[in-house]
Amino acid sequence: MVIRTAPARGHRPVLEGPGFLARADLQVLIDLLREDGRRVIGPTVSDGAIVYDEITSLDDLPRGIGDEQAPGRYRLRRRNDERLFGYVVGPTAFKKWTFPPLVPLTRAAKDGHRVTFSPEPIDVPPVAFLGARACDLAALGVQDTVFTGTAFVDPDYAARRAKVFLVAVQCTTAAATCFCTSMGTGPEVEEGYDLLLTELDGGFLVDADSAAGRAMLARLPVRPAAAAEQYGAAATVAAVRARIGDPVPAAGLHDRLLAQLDHPRWAQVAERCITCGNCTLACPTCFCTTLSQVTDLTGRDATMYRSWDSCFSPGFAKVAGGSFRSRPRDRYRQWLTHKFATWWDQFGSSGCVGCGRCITWCPVGIDVRDELNAIAPAVPLVPEAPIVEPVAATPNDFVTARVVATRQETADTTTLTLTGTDPAFAKGNTGQFAMVALPGFPPLPISISRFLPDGIELTIRGAGPATKAMCALQVGEQLGLRGPLGNNWPLDRAVGRDLVIVTGGIGLAPLRPVLHAIVADRRRFGDVKLYYGARTPADLLYRDELERWSARHGIEVSLTVDRAGPEWTGRVGIVTHLFDQAAWDGANMIAFVCGPERMMQATSTTLAGRGVPASRIHVTLERHMECGIGLCGHCQMGKYFVCRDGPVFSIGQLGDIFGREGI
Amino acid sequence: MNETAALIAALNTSWFATGLSEKAQTRLAELGRRFTAEPGTELFREGETSDTFGILVHGRVALRTLVPERGDITILTVEPGDVYLWSALVPPYRASSTGTAIEPIEAIVFDGASLRAALREDCELALALYPRVLVAVARRLYATRLQMLDLFAAEQVKSW
Repeated sequence: MVIRTAPARGHRPVLEGPGFLARADLQVLIDLLREDGRRVIGPTVSDGAIVYDEITSLDDLPRGIGDEQAPGRYRLRRRNDERLFGYVVGPTAFKKWTFPPLVPLTRAAKDGHRVTFSPEPIDVPPVAFLGARACDLAALGVQDTVFTGTAFVDPDYAARRAKVFLVAVQCTTAAATCFCTSMGTGPEVEEGYDLLLTELDGGFLVDADSAAGRAMLARLPVRPAAAAEQYGAAATVAAVRARIGDPVPAAGLHDRLLAQLDHPRWAQVAERCITCGNCTLACPTCFCTTLSQVTDLTGRDATMYRSWDSCFSPGFAKVAGGSFRSRPRDRYRQWLTHKFATWWDQFGSSGCVGCGRCITWCPVGIDVRDELNAIAPAVPLVPEAPIVEPVAATPNDFVTARVVATRQETADTTTLTLTGTDPAFAKGNTGQFAMVALPGFPPLPISISRFLPDGIELTIRGAGPATKAMCALQVGEQLGLRGPLGNNWPLDRAVGRDLVIVTGGIGLAPLRPVLHAIVADRRRFGDVKLYYGARTPADLLYRDELERWSARHGIEVSLTVDRAGPEWTGRVGIVTHLFDQAAWDGANMIAFVCGPERMMQATSTTLAGRGVPASRIHVTLERHMECGIGLCGHCQMGKYFVCRDGPVFSIGQLGDIFGREGI
Repeated sequence: MNETAALIAALNTSWFATGLSEKAQTRLAELGRRFTAEPGTELFREGETSDTFGILVHGRVALRTLVPERGDITILTVEPGDVYLWSALVPPYRASSTGTAIEPIEAIVFDGASLRAALREDCELALALYPRVLVAVARRLYATRLQMLDLFAAEQVKSW
């Protein structure tokens, strides 16, 4: 325990090092925190468990109560003492207050052709967390990085987190489910607190680690702690460390796990896993959310709520064409590999703090430690840093834009021309997308199919209720936009090279801005070949532009359809047959590919066979997205968030996760 | 250029015949003949005996199949370099679709019975030709599977 000098306050002497607070005087701390206007959140017994909830007095604390934990098992036990913190951790985590399960985000209204979006005001009271353990502090640190440590900040979290006063408690006991020692997060609380308590027989050793903490310490009725008390406290925590041991050797775990994506154990654990999502709800770091719309009966006013979601939910990775993780084994693998491996790539730390909640609260008693240890060591992988080039974002808010033209491209696909867009769109890049919202519908990621001086175009296929509502918008009506989001097609790498663009179906939409950029500056690029496949001749998009690109701009346009009537004299067959036997050599080429994932896979294989290197075959991926800025968790693919690190990736970057079932 | 030399030159423009030995090229040129047709010409009909094997040199041939109440559906087009009527080499020697020229075409065609007789007698020719036919048919099989997935459909195609 580090000895610090506290500044003098009032009549009390300057405290050198930790103080000692009698057990009954903890009430003084609770009262002072409440006097300061804080809700005090601490441990209390409820429904047979020790949970974190609002407390007002010492009587609310679990005096003399401990817990017994094992996989799928939790029981309270009477202790032989009067300790207030003689338990380990219960089912709740403090994230419930910094990252509440349900938060209203945006209010949307529709009045005739006019729609408005207004973010809900963020008004949160100050709180104090009493009894946070080392793993709880580590978990707050993990969520701090997720929500405030990257390019995009979650304003609700930031506001709540800034108002937290942290009273940490050293662990003096351990559960059979604890493994903080392996995760490097505990059991010792070392930093990140305001006040730190270590419970002894008669009271607490108290230390401070922040200006606010030192100020509070100076207001408490403490006496300097005796050397024996300090020694005893340190020895107790050391005994906890020894008791936990090192259940999950963590060295190289990242590489070992990612090398085992095909391990048979995934299927075996999935036979036990009931995909209930309890582990993710009990987890203090899980941060995935979903949006829901609540409208009034007229449908004119809607409020968008954000609620906790789980990667175990069946619809979590669903897109119009199906779910990317339909099988329980896919979802279990996603959860475990994210926590222990790809979290490092995304956030520079493990996503697990070793609190053991997921083990205790798993109804079938799956123990992550056993699962991790059962996965064999393998060849380490060298991760390639993702390209992140986000342009702009206005989190939790949608800026309205107005429809000034609509064009029906095919029976189910419409292009909307929008003006009055956020000025950020003027700086947008090819391949980026926008989150598009209509009141009462979930916001959806839609590729920007054209950048205009004062707006954008979106080409939307009416595949579900939200996209059908967007396609039905008339001139003069409004919608909400957030963006432009995501990275872009690496056009700068195409300068001076031959470029091959392969696309299918609606996939031409995100590539259309690439073609606009090429024709605007045609001399900078070598030969440009566009291979485009559609379902039938009637499903071909942008037919007038295709003709113009070919006739006026020297772009070699080849079309094919999957089936046609006798009136079609063009090609029929799959898109790769347009070039699998062509004369060109791909060694100097760069390729941009967009279409259904199975088509992009076939195309990448064919392009690689023509000599195009994997680092120069770029694809754009579709995933379920709700936030568009790496905060909701839905679009995760291995170590990437497709919205933030993509949607454009090279095949080299994706490696063997591309086209793999259930990633 | 005599006709054999012209046919050898034409063979060499096709990916199908690329890399054939000189001997095999000469033998094929002896067996084959040049064939042209105008757009709209029906070259063969689904279910009928395949009496010729063709390598398309120029133009486009639509392979169609008749679906009652939907009419003739083009399921594939044969492009220069590819073969048509491979069924002339595989029992029961019947065309699996109807082939119609939809552009002016030029092809090298082989009488089915004579080609089969030549392949039976000349192992070297058989060894040169059959793997290429297998590649051409496998390429179509793979493409057909992808087409069957109907990947560009707006609604998810349900399994059945």
